[in-house]
Amino acid sequence: MNKLFLAALVSGLIALPAYAADYSIMAPASPGGGWDQTARTMQASLQDEKISGNVQVTNVPGAGGTIGLAQFANQANGDPSQLIVGGYVMVGAILTNQSPVTLADVTPIARLTGESVALVVPANSPLQTVDDLVAALKADPGAVAWAGGSAGGADHITAGLIAKAVGVDPTQVNYIAYSGGGEALAAILGGQVTVGVSGYGEFASQVESGDLRLLAISGEKRLDGVDAPTLSEAGVDVVLENWRMVAAAPGITDEQKAAINADIEAMVNSATWQTALADRGWVNTYLAGDAFDAQLAKDIEATGAILKDIGLVQ
Amino acid sequence: MDTFALLAQGLMAAMAPMNLVYALIGVTLGTAVGVLPGIGPALTVALLLPVTYRLDPAGSLIMFAGIYYGGMYGGSTTSILLNTPGESASIVTALEGNKMARKGRGGPALATAAIGSFVAGLLATLGLAFIAPWVVKFALSFGPADYFALMVLAFITVSAAFGDSALRGITALFIGLGLGIIGIDLQTGQARLAFGVPDLFDGIEVTTLAVALFAIGETLKIASSPSQLKEEILAVKGSVWMTVEDWKRSWVPWLRGTAIGFPIGAMPAGGADVASFLSYSAERSFAKKPEEFGHGAIEGVAGPEAANNASAAGTLVPLLTLGLPTTATAAIMLAGFQQFGLQPGPLLFANNAPLVWSLIASLLIANFMLLVLNLPLIGLWVKLLTIPKPWLYAGILTFATLGTLGANGAMSMQVFGIRFSFELVLLLAFGILGYALRRFSYPIAPVVVGLILGPMAEQQLRRALAISQGDPGILIGSPVAIVLYSVAILALVLPMIMRMRGKGGALAQLASDED
Amino acid sequence: MTTGSPNSERRPDGAALFIAAILAVIAAIIIWQTSQMRVPPIQARVGPTVFPYIIAGGLALLSVGTLISAWRGSFPPREKDNYGPMLWIVGGLIGQILLLSTAGFSIATGVLFALTAKGFGRGPLWVSLPIGIAFSFIVWFLFSRGLQLSLPAGPLERLIP
Repeated sequence: MNKLFLAALVSGLIALPAYAADYSIMAPASPGGGWDQTARTMQASLQDEKISGNVQVTNVPGAGGTIGLAQFANQANGDPSQLIVGGYVMVGAILTNQSPVTLADVTPIARLTGESVALVVPANSPLQTVDDLVAALKADPGAVAWAGGSAGGADHITAGLIAKAVGVDPTQVNYIAYSGGGEALAAILGGQVTVGVSGYGEFASQVESGDLRLLAISGEKRLDGVDAPTLSEAGVDVVLENWRMVAAAPGITDEQKAAINADIEAMVNSATWQTALADRGWVNTYLAGDAFDAQLAKDIEATGAILKDIGLVQ
Repeated sequence: MDTFALLAQGLMAAMAPMNLVYALIGVTLGTAVGVLPGIGPALTVALLLPVTYRLDPAGSLIMFAGIYYGGMYGGSTTSILLNTPGESASIVTALEGNKMARKGRGGPALATAAIGSFVAGLLATLGLAFIAPWVVKFALSFGPADYFALMVLAFITVSAAFGDSALRGITALFIGLGLGIIGIDLQTGQARLAFGVPDLFDGIEVTTLAVALFAIGETLKIASSPSQLKEEILAVKGSVWMTVEDWKRSWVPWLRGTAIGFPIGAMPAGGADVASFLSYSAERSFAKKPEEFGHGAIEGVAGPEAANNASAAGTLVPLLTLGLPTTATAAIMLAGFQQFGLQPGPLLFANNAPLVWSLIASLLIANFMLLVLNLPLIGLWVKLLTIPKPWLYAGILTFATLGTLGANGAMSMQVFGIRFSFELVLLLAFGILGYALRRFSYPIAPVVVGLILGPMAEQQLRRALAISQGDPGILIGSPVAIVLYSVAILALVLPMIMRMRGKGGALAQLASDED
Repeated sequence: MTTGSPNSERRPDGAALFIAAILAVIAAIIIWQTSQMRVPPIQARVGPTVFPYIIAGGLALLSVGTLISAWRGSFPPREKDNYGPMLWIVGGLIGQILLLSTAGFSIATGVLFALTAKGFGRGPLWVSLPIGIAFSFIVWFLFSRGLQLSLPAGPLERLIP
């Protein structure tokens, strides 16, 4: 592994750009979204660090990434220069859309970044802590309106998991879906809903300015410099991270997979990538190889279970 | 008076000679790409954004502002001259603007669009600088029930674009509403009317429908209609410039359009298209000569174009004050700001004051450059109409398919070993629909309006009822909603009163004179 | 709704009857597809099926309205259209769709360009086709190379490294 890494690095440094591995990265989302930004940051890092001579990004938006995934699985087969960016949202979308193509039809390479889902309320909300929220939820589940992203996504799943963990029927969760984080944020700031649930990055600047109160985050550990408990610390046994990953084409050889793995590892360790993560506020949760495969399998199973509980999947 | 000092400082920085050059390049590029039929502002900005990365933050912001305004304006040029709007917000412009162009009044139509865009851009950018915090508070107070009321108002005012038969107008609207159901339902994640085709999961793209119905439908109709094929369009009849009467009839609509566009653009679920629909029907109700509507009324170009531009500046209000990108263009801009380490949000004005003010100053400069560049070019643009029809329409179809391919045209389908783009198939199918609608005198605009407003209205209604746990009282539970419903009722009743006062007679007579 | 009915002889308008039938069929498809939907047990008061049913109902009513209007012959008069030019242009669009993935943007769009010009009566094809391909190639170069727009490449595009 190390040897390959070194070989890739050396060849990347000395070879003419035309000889370095060229990559084409598919972002299965519109320009500007999280997956697109991930793909474009990868593009910049791979090129600036001379890991790859020429990197193209294509966008195939739609349906939680399943449209792009289906196209990628069909058309990139056996081509080691093709990569696709994806994430946890895709896992849920595959199930709710009954997508014929799943993550088993591509070759997952590595998890790159992760983001906690945050629970927030407007500054003037009577809810002060997670306990208050749980009490309100137990008293009348329908009266707690949750605002977040599209149905079946990480936000919706978090709401369902919380209800389940505190003994409330997940089908009773009154979840209001908004397209894009922006619209949900507006509804929360305007006091139209009880509680907001979405990636911490969506709310960070409002939490800093004091317009929103952060009740808890869903990750395993607290965030640096953010004064809020994790859900587990607050007594709700839920851990969830909305991760992003990169996968390669189906039908590639083990050698090709190892070479891609080495390139991605070199990218993750590069200064360009690390600076970009810091600039964008993304947390590095790099995980590759068997450990990633195992975690992926676990997530797919858990997601299927909760989506059934919520009633989105039969 | 701190704001003035900061704005002056920003203007000083933006007026450096090099920055003026960047602004000019940005406006030129933006107009050049935006003017291509089928390529709307969002795609223009996405395409040209990387060009700005090579400059320092100030230079890049100013070039970006130029591209943004240039792209917005470029779209209306083809709407007016060729009846081929590249995106939803300039559809309304095509309604009256193209009628004007066919009468040889393309020059004044372009001029009132350019000056109206300038006036609106100027006022709205000043609004952004001085009253953004209050506008944002107003926009945030809109709940789902209020949005639903706004949609009801928009639906009622759409009838202004129905033409001479209510039956055919409503049919066109319902075709659009039907298309709007297609795709995954946001609230439940279930697919509706997608027939298992993954490309339909995200619904019908508004741009694809608009480009197909207008550009392709128009091409097919003109090619197959012996009279329209022979029709010689005079590029200029009378003055290429606006007459004194044109000025008199334009300035109030400019201001009214700005007043409608700016707040609606600032709303998280508003948008330039809704603003332009509302402005069009407002102009129609206030017009001194309503009988001219549908036959090239200059107010119908002046108002919506101003509303369209004001709402573009309005979009920046939630973006800069809350970090909320409310349109595709704004989302792309957000990504652009992040390249400079700017984090739009409530603390932006406090943390990055100099850059924010130079952005606002850049918008003012870019807006001015747009006018400087485009007024002299009007004479050249109208010459587009003198290109022989075979080459003109061949070129229109080239760019219409280019825009569709570039925005959404992945080769996602495969039949008998041939890979092809489903979006282009949709473009063709809707193009034929556009032809059929024209052939049987159905109005085109309501189809697109139905596709835009239908899903919005449905989502807002369902959100409102979910929040209230099924109590319909929430729909009339806020003063904003009550005001909006009152305006809607007024919009319904007012034309009837007008008609009773005898103005309708002239209208019917003119309608029967139409081609 | 009495505007535009100069033809006083009350003959049903065949095309308009056809439109009424299409509207009815669309309404039926929407109702059928919506009835097949599984509605999740989430406590949504107005579920995902309500709007489709309303719209289908509206289309059904409009179909009846169109039927009556067709019967009365109150559709506006229309001139006789030539379908030849239309077929050339539709053929050009279909040709482009089929050629794009193999022949690339320039050739496929060149075909569309030439057939459209032909539809408007400008030919012959052996002149307009090269013009169209050259024009499309320039467009491809500007957008694909200049602006990084992802457009399908074919043999012609691969000539430029």
